Amino acid sequence: MTEPITWTCTGCALLCEDIQVFIKDNRVEKVEHACLKGKARVYRCKHTAISTVDQDEVDVNTAISQAAKILEKAKNPLLYGWSNSTSEAQVAGIELAQTLGACIDSTSSFCQGITINEIMNGSVPSCTLEDVREKADVVIYWGADPMSSHPRHLSKYSYFPRGELRQRGYEEDRTAICIDITESRTAKICKGMFFSIPPGGDAEFMRALMDGLAGRVPKLSYDFDVKRILELAAVLKKAEFGVIFVGLGLVYSIKEEFDLISEFMSTLNKFSNFFLIPMAGHFNMRGFNHNLHEKTGFIHRVAFTKNGPVPGVEYSVVEQLKHGADAVMVVGSDPLASLPLSITRRLKDIPLILVDPCSNLTSRVADVTIPCGASGIEVGGTAVRLDGRKMDISPLIRGNGLSDEMVVRRIMEEVS
Amino acid sequence: MTSAMEIYQLLPKTNCKKCDESTCMAFAVALLSRTKQCTECPPLMEEEKYIDSRQKLETILKPLEGAEETGLIIHEELCSGCGNCVVACPVNVANDPYGSGKGFGPTNGKVIFRVENGKVKAANIEECRRFGKDRILCRACIDPCPTEAIEFV
Amino acid sequence: MALDVGKFIKAPEYDIKIISRRDVFQASVCEEDRFGDDCLELSALIVLDAAEMKHMGILDGANVRLASKWGSVVVRARASPREEQKGLGFMVNGPWVNALVSDETPDGIPTFKYIEAKITISKDGITGIQELLLL
Repeated sequence: MTEPITWTCTGCALLCEDIQVFIKDNRVEKVEHACLKGKARVYRCKHTAISTVDQDEVDVNTAISQAAKILEKAKNPLLYGWSNSTSEAQVAGIELAQTLGACIDSTSSFCQGITINEIMNGSVPSCTLEDVREKADVVIYWGADPMSSHPRHLSKYSYFPRGELRQRGYEEDRTAICIDITESRTAKICKGMFFSIPPGGDAEFMRALMDGLAGRVPKLSYDFDVKRILELAAVLKKAEFGVIFVGLGLVYSIKEEFDLISEFMSTLNKFSNFFLIPMAGHFNMRGFNHNLHEKTGFIHRVAFTKNGPVPGVEYSVVEQLKHGADAVMVVGSDPLASLPLSITRRLKDIPLILVDPCSNLTSRVADVTIPCGASGIEVGGTAVRLDGRKMDISPLIRGNGLSDEMVVRRIMEEVS
Repeated sequence: MTSAMEIYQLLPKTNCKKCDESTCMAFAVALLSRTKQCTECPPLMEEEKYIDSRQKLETILKPLEGAEETGLIIHEELCSGCGNCVVACPVNVANDPYGSGKGFGPTNGKVIFRVENGKVKAANIEECRRFGKDRILCRACIDPCPTEAIEFV
Repeated sequence: MALDVGKFIKAPEYDIKIISRRDVFQASVCEEDRFGDDCLELSALIVLDAAEMKHMGILDGANVRLASKWGSVVVRARASPREEQKGLGFMVNGPWVNALVSDETPDGIPTFKYIEAKITISKDGITGIQELLLL
């Protein structure tokens, strides 16, 4: 049997660093410790991308030149995607946006960007997953179902492992709480600590909990046993090290009054010691936010103008796709699958470039497709885990194409 | 899950003792724990009137064939490879405290559960707390499973 | 003008709110093969409360048409193994549910979670991935 390679998995933003991959003749033979998502990632997609212009196969140099021409000609190009790329490719993308005077945005724009922003500007306290494993005694999955999105979340960090301060394991030392609108796979594990709320009922539940913490009788417009809220408040108060994992269920429910999150955390922390961690999905979604922030001071939705980088909701991917962008380059994403069709329909009418290792829905309508090595499989680099920790990603197998970073840099050479 | 009563209903219920068990119910229990097989009941195998029962019994006993000696069955199609059982299993923790016990993939070959190609696999089953003389009805791998992929029969 | 008989025997329509969510099994098969049958099977799917399905006359596994102001798709209906809140339907993230989502995005975030739609039994086949591209 071949000796395994220790690998950091890019299947999701947990970036599990203990994966053992057995490789023979540049092919994966077996993978150990990775979940089903990680396994799918390691074994790669069935339909790999090819170089095309106007849906006809061309050599990669022709495709790159055509992409450069499109972007050079455009008045308002948008560079979008990035959450499935290494930080090195993201940095190249940000430089290309600057060179072109383009808008740049990532999938975080309609995902956890709003939460990551609160953490990065210091409005809410956060901690690392290692802190969670070693210290956490109370964890809350709020509008989050890690058993469906980040399979090893509970086993590797948040509930099951023995930690430095949690030697007796989950049975005695940890309490897991789930607040959701349905009894998810995660809720099933939280058993007696599952709080079922109506859709959109999160803000009220949060206010009710704040009342409970402050010793007031909580009021709710929907039917909910107030006694259970008071019991939950008591559990939160007693926590030595608490963590709230924010899922998209919560983000989308309170996005119009997102300040409530920091108000809730500061109220909670008058009585207790709680931290917040966003459940970012794609492996390097958070990396894009860090890298763009370093360059511009903003985490996403940025336009590079004559007066420098400017942020704004009008530079978000959805606003740009609806009206604004007159050419789009997508790197490592499939907007036709992941964004509303009512918005992506316009992609058929404007020049569209796709840089991706795999053939996907978007490649079926793209004017130019450029294949690239899969980040974290054929191409190494760094990425930022969902808690903000920077991780090294080593390549597993040799690819025979360019990395996404190289594709972006080649386009940059041709436009400047 | 198959119960002894369900199996008993399909047996001749004559308590003829030809299987060396005192009653048909005892034989049902023996079938369930796989210490006896259908073929050890002569009336069931030989008599025409039990053909239907025999076929039904074979169907319900089929899943037991894949079970480990402790009765462990892993439904691979339901497993997401989350590793909750890997970290929760007390034998995994005792035999690999700084690997499985801390949430990592197992670091040695002495564990019961490990995830391979996205699915959990069982080994060293004789170490399971449900095995042997002092066995207990441990549920440490069943309860943490989010998809009901682990079952004991 | 001919009388539109079909209008009177049309299957009843019900209002539902669709919540999109993730699923590890769908995510892994779609990562392997976005155009494969497994990805379609696990994506073109809506999960509903079993009692409510009975009330709506929808059998487990039946095809249903979901229609919103922004689009319409045919998917398979499945009964949830647990009791769910009334009036909700759950779909896994993907192009099928995204065909129903509004283009109104005041804060730059589409309404992925509370999609107002109508559900009705359908004799049409499940919307294929190629058809979605043409919508």
